[in-house]
Amino acid sequence: MKCNTAMKVVRISDEVWEIPVTEKPGMLVPARIYGTESILRAMDTGVFEQVTNVACLPGIRRYALCMPDGHWGYGFPIGGVAAFDVRSGIISPGGVGYDVNCGMRLIRSDLTLADVQPKLDLLMTELFRRVPAGVGASGFVSMNRSSFDRVMTKGARWCIEQGYGWHRDLERMEQGGCLPGADPGKVSDHAVTRGMNQLGTLGSGNHYLEVQVVSNDRIFDRETAAAFGITGQDQIVIMVHCGSRGFGHQVASDYLKVFEKAMRRYGITVKDQQLACAPFLSEEGQDYFAAMNCAANTAFANRQVITHQIREAFAAVFGRSGEELGMELVYDVAHNIAKVERYPEGELVVHRKGATRAFGPGSQDLPACYRSVGQPVICGGSMETGSYLLVGTTRATEDTFGSTMHGSGRTMSRTQAKKSISGEQLQQQMKQRGILVKAVSMSGLAEEAGFAYKNISEVVESVERAGITKKVAELRPIGNIKG
Amino acid sequence: MPAFFHFLDDVALADLAFDAEGDSVQGVFEAASQAVMEAMADPKTVGATWERRVEHTGADLAELLFDWLSDFVYWKDAAGVVFSRAVIAVTQAGGQWTLAATLIGEPVNQATQVLRNDVKGVTKHLYRLYQDNGRWRARVVLDV
Repeated sequence: MKCNTAMKVVRISDEVWEIPVTEKPGMLVPARIYGTESILRAMDTGVFEQVTNVACLPGIRRYALCMPDGHWGYGFPIGGVAAFDVRSGIISPGGVGYDVNCGMRLIRSDLTLADVQPKLDLLMTELFRRVPAGVGASGFVSMNRSSFDRVMTKGARWCIEQGYGWHRDLERMEQGGCLPGADPGKVSDHAVTRGMNQLGTLGSGNHYLEVQVVSNDRIFDRETAAAFGITGQDQIVIMVHCGSRGFGHQVASDYLKVFEKAMRRYGITVKDQQLACAPFLSEEGQDYFAAMNCAANTAFANRQVITHQIREAFAAVFGRSGEELGMELVYDVAHNIAKVERYPEGELVVHRKGATRAFGPGSQDLPACYRSVGQPVICGGSMETGSYLLVGTTRATEDTFGSTMHGSGRTMSRTQAKKSISGEQLQQQMKQRGILVKAVSMSGLAEEAGFAYKNISEVVESVERAGITKKVAELRPIGNIKG
Repeated sequence: MPAFFHFLDDVALADLAFDAEGDSVQGVFEAASQAVMEAMADPKTVGATWERRVEHTGADLAELLFDWLSDFVYWKDAAGVVFSRAVIAVTQAGGQWTLAATLIGEPVNQATQVLRNDVKGVTKHLYRLYQDNGRWRARVVLDV
């Protein structure tokens, strides 16, 4: 099997590939990569190096995993999943990602393409005005240290208490939009100052707000789609991709420094400085976990405030309230997080970095409305090619610590993409294809061109064939807001 | 040869990597600073209505550069500004390096500035500051 690595890669199935422990000194478990043969062949060298580095970390259980949208990241690859024993294992900011609780949110509506198309320009202008994006953007929510402390501990619930959303929104978020154990006392003043003005902002890079259409012929599982409120008939849905902004990044940066020193004390060596870690139950490990939960909760709150603004924008344009337009939350799910979850091995600290939780039917962690069908999994593609709504499976719980892909994954650097097309050209091309783009930065827009990403359909097919998620619907973009 | 930087095509797929170099420590610091400012916005389109004095001291020059470049990211978020210029002086005394600098810029204005990436942080991935054939060189990956 010819891949971008000299390591031996063994075929487990058509969509699962294993690097044995003999391939790198220090590996404690094998590494497993998900994807078709063509996806595996195209993966960059960094994935193979990084997933096997992760396999060397203390307390790791079963496998170090990488999803088919995987590519090089900091420490862990993007698409990386690893679970560590609570008592003997570690926690690592490199396994969570800098943008703590970067995640996806999907909102359904009763509107159709026929309703929205005539007002699309007005709608995108209104959304662009109400949801700040790009460099240095600040949100409309006025914050002080005390209120930001409450955001850190309450997450999306704080927003609901302030009137930014509906109580029932909370049921449809991973862990109710609030992770327990958040302690603002473990967060630096630097992080707070960076984050306090950013609530309700998108950021830039690959973050976006997208208006999408669900056609009848792109629904693959009608029963599950109906449970998620997706009925097709050119139905309009709205997808949001963003996270904890500068706040989460500062938390990660602060604790990487703490962990670099702590590793010496605990006698831990890692193969990459960005895998700095500490025993989960150590003082440093628990401090980071408490601070990371603060960042995760601000990310839930960020997406909740954005949801409020989206509903307000739609109400302004269509003259009916968000409730009258049926703008219910489908789900909100993290793809950069570490959580304690129970598996047959016991309690494990599951790190998902560019990977989505994908619990199957029957999971007690799912809200009652989804318990019989499984967890919605929201996967963002490039802004040109569309996205997918999937559902978690029992097989994912068994094989991948309840995890799956999160997006399509880049194949081209930002610098290369910008050399290939200008933002203005891309915006014009997309308009001709019926996708209206509002962007703060034209160079930032060019960096996100569809050709810089893998084909999401192939990535989705591979996780479906591997049995770790099932396709529910494909979502086609008609409007996109970027930073 | 003057100090300069260039963004890299094949490093850090999802983020932004650059190499900076100069004849002196001061030169490589200036080139790296310019790269970070240009990653965020076109400095030529940014005014000079905001400034902040910054000082760092330490024995580890690489850590000093890392902390200094991180200042751009911090003030971008904390004060909502982008940068047109940075005035830098790097000195050494008694085994300690000191950076005394002034960050100059103005509040973000989407109408008048050419804005680029909302840089979230300076990372340690592939991070290096070293001397090679008399030139000071740095490799930096920015998380965007």
